[in-house]
Amino acid sequence: MSGIKVEQFTQAVGNADEINELLRRYGVKFGIYKNGVFKEQFFPFDPIPRVINAEDFKSIEKGLVQRVDALNRFLFDIYHEKNIVKDGIVPEDFIYISSGYLAQCEGISPAKGIYSHISGIDLVQGKDGEWYILEDNLRIPSGASYPLIARELTRIACPDVFAENNVTDNRNYADLLKETMENVNCGGIRAILTPGRYNAAYFEHSYLAEHTGSVLVQNDELFVEDNILYHRTYSGGKTRIGVLYRRIADEYLDPLTFLPESLIGIPNLMEAYRAGNVAIINAPGNGVADDKGIYYFVPKMIEYYLGEKPILKNAPTYLPFYEEDRKYVLENIGKLVIKDVAEAGGYGVVFGSDLSDEKLEEFRQTIIAEPRRFIAQEVIDFLDLPILEGGETVMRKADLRAFVLSGKETKVWASGLTRFSRNPDSFVVNSSQGGGFKDTWVLSR
Amino acid sequence: MGTISIEHGDHLYWLGRYTERSFTTLKVLHKIFDRMIDEDHCYTEYLSCFGLSDIYEDNNDFIRHFLYDKNNPNSLAFSLERAYDNGIVLREEISTEALSFLQMAKDTLKKSEKMQNPRLSLISLEDNIYGFWGCIYEYIYDAEIKNIIKCGKSLERLDLYLRLDYPYRSIRKAYSRLTRNLESIPENTPYRYNSKFLDEISNAVESADKYDKYSSEALTALEHIFDRPEVSA
Repeated sequence: MSGIKVEQFTQAVGNADEINELLRRYGVKFGIYKNGVFKEQFFPFDPIPRVINAEDFKSIEKGLVQRVDALNRFLFDIYHEKNIVKDGIVPEDFIYISSGYLAQCEGISPAKGIYSHISGIDLVQGKDGEWYILEDNLRIPSGASYPLIARELTRIACPDVFAENNVTDNRNYADLLKETMENVNCGGIRAILTPGRYNAAYFEHSYLAEHTGSVLVQNDELFVEDNILYHRTYSGGKTRIGVLYRRIADEYLDPLTFLPESLIGIPNLMEAYRAGNVAIINAPGNGVADDKGIYYFVPKMIEYYLGEKPILKNAPTYLPFYEEDRKYVLENIGKLVIKDVAEAGGYGVVFGSDLSDEKLEEFRQTIIAEPRRFIAQEVIDFLDLPILEGGETVMRKADLRAFVLSGKETKVWASGLTRFSRNPDSFVVNSSQGGGFKDTWVLSR
Repeated sequence: MGTISIEHGDHLYWLGRYTERSFTTLKVLHKIFDRMIDEDHCYTEYLSCFGLSDIYEDNNDFIRHFLYDKNNPNSLAFSLERAYDNGIVLREEISTEALSFLQMAKDTLKKSEKMQNPRLSLISLEDNIYGFWGCIYEYIYDAEIKNIIKCGKSLERLDLYLRLDYPYRSIRKAYSRLTRNLESIPENTPYRYNSKFLDEISNAVESADKYDKYSSEALTALEHIFDRPEVSA
């Protein structure tokens, strides 16, 4: 806890109910489908913050900027010259069979060459104090709105806690996002495209639209004419959109380019994008860089593109695709965590220690048959964080999603989404699987 | 109007209607609660205003259905849910603050269900709706957005007052408010009034005598107030 003791949060702990009541009042929810039925749930908030001291944050910040800059260079390279493949750093198998690679994006140069404008990088801190990167999310990472509103409300509920600690104000996220959007604006208004109210992250879409002064739109309010994207207005007119922060997946964006059955896309959007008349945030095709298989190569990318040593470490990872790694994985499967590269949201993650001998053997055979489908990682013994449960403080696993915004400069938001597992035996922190969240403090000194 | 889509225009209008429906329903139920102290089945007159028959066992059964039953289109719970459904897609236009009052209204209603005397907590619910309207006036700078919501609100009020046979004085006030709001909507937009039907309403509520005779005509005209005018060949 960076020298800060839980006792210092007495006011926050004492006001936990009030804070959650405020979060409820402001509708801080996420959607979830259970047995095909949509339900909105309040996102449980824990009042004890994660604290990152100024020095640690400086190093994390440097490492994240480095990583995201390299990932942006990688994306540009992959959709243009492919030098990293030609130079044998990343095998082409990992590019072309990745579901995130979109041939339709070949040769398109997004405004200012930026692909990942908003990157959500998941990290964990080991018990040794070292931070490890767990995952890069470069498609449509969500979660920034929760700590943003939580900070606003905890400052109301617990002013003393903030008066006594030097916490960097994180309420600039909307300004950072607005700057990032404006940096690539091709001329027109800013819009946030949502699939609609029944999307899991709808709260975030509407909250960010409100706070960035963008228009929240659905596909049926938009159309493309002469390769320009327009918003159809109430009075029968049209307003040009210069930058579209889309919160729908690539394959649904444009039914004339990707999935023809998409009912939430905008026909010809990709033509407008290709013509340079609208910026799409994040750029379509980014999935090739946040593929779990590509994760293994990110440290190599940093060296290749930036000529620098990676500042932040990956969790020790093995690719069964390589014979040597496959041998290690098959021999040590019982102590590794295996991830299916096609899955997300905490799904497709299996801890070898949880499997019976029979299941382990089955898994070995699946890996042998489909080595490209999996990665394996050493289980990091990550730092537990205190959370309040039934009036008691208990320790739980937690990760941190850091948000990196690439505009004129690459900036790391001095905060992030700390998610924790409510289950004492679980490493899975995703909200869709019952996890909660807490504020992330970055100390200013 | 800038960047309001047809869909959002629609949500703004229905947000106004359902919030007003919640409010007037609440006001009427307050009166019924009061009469319940002295008489049983005191709500039959209210039901008949909507062409409904009394199928309820007693006062409590009626209250359950008209306060809390989300499947009953005449209940407070139903109207609040619809107001919220329309509001939630308008956060960037109406503000998180305004939306929070609808959330609180829903929560207050839910809590009141467990109370021995729900009427007491319904006073807070009334405050929540006043808070919502305060936010609408405070946070919305675009006059046209505000006008669409106000149009929905005032139209719903006149509609309900006519159905509930409110005194003429209240009808005149509701009518004046509606015309003021309708006049603020520009030509050639979906919520621009049709003058033929506005004239019919105006005629029907011109005097107390006429109101007694023609209130049902006024209701019919109200249903068509946004119909596009017929274009002569």
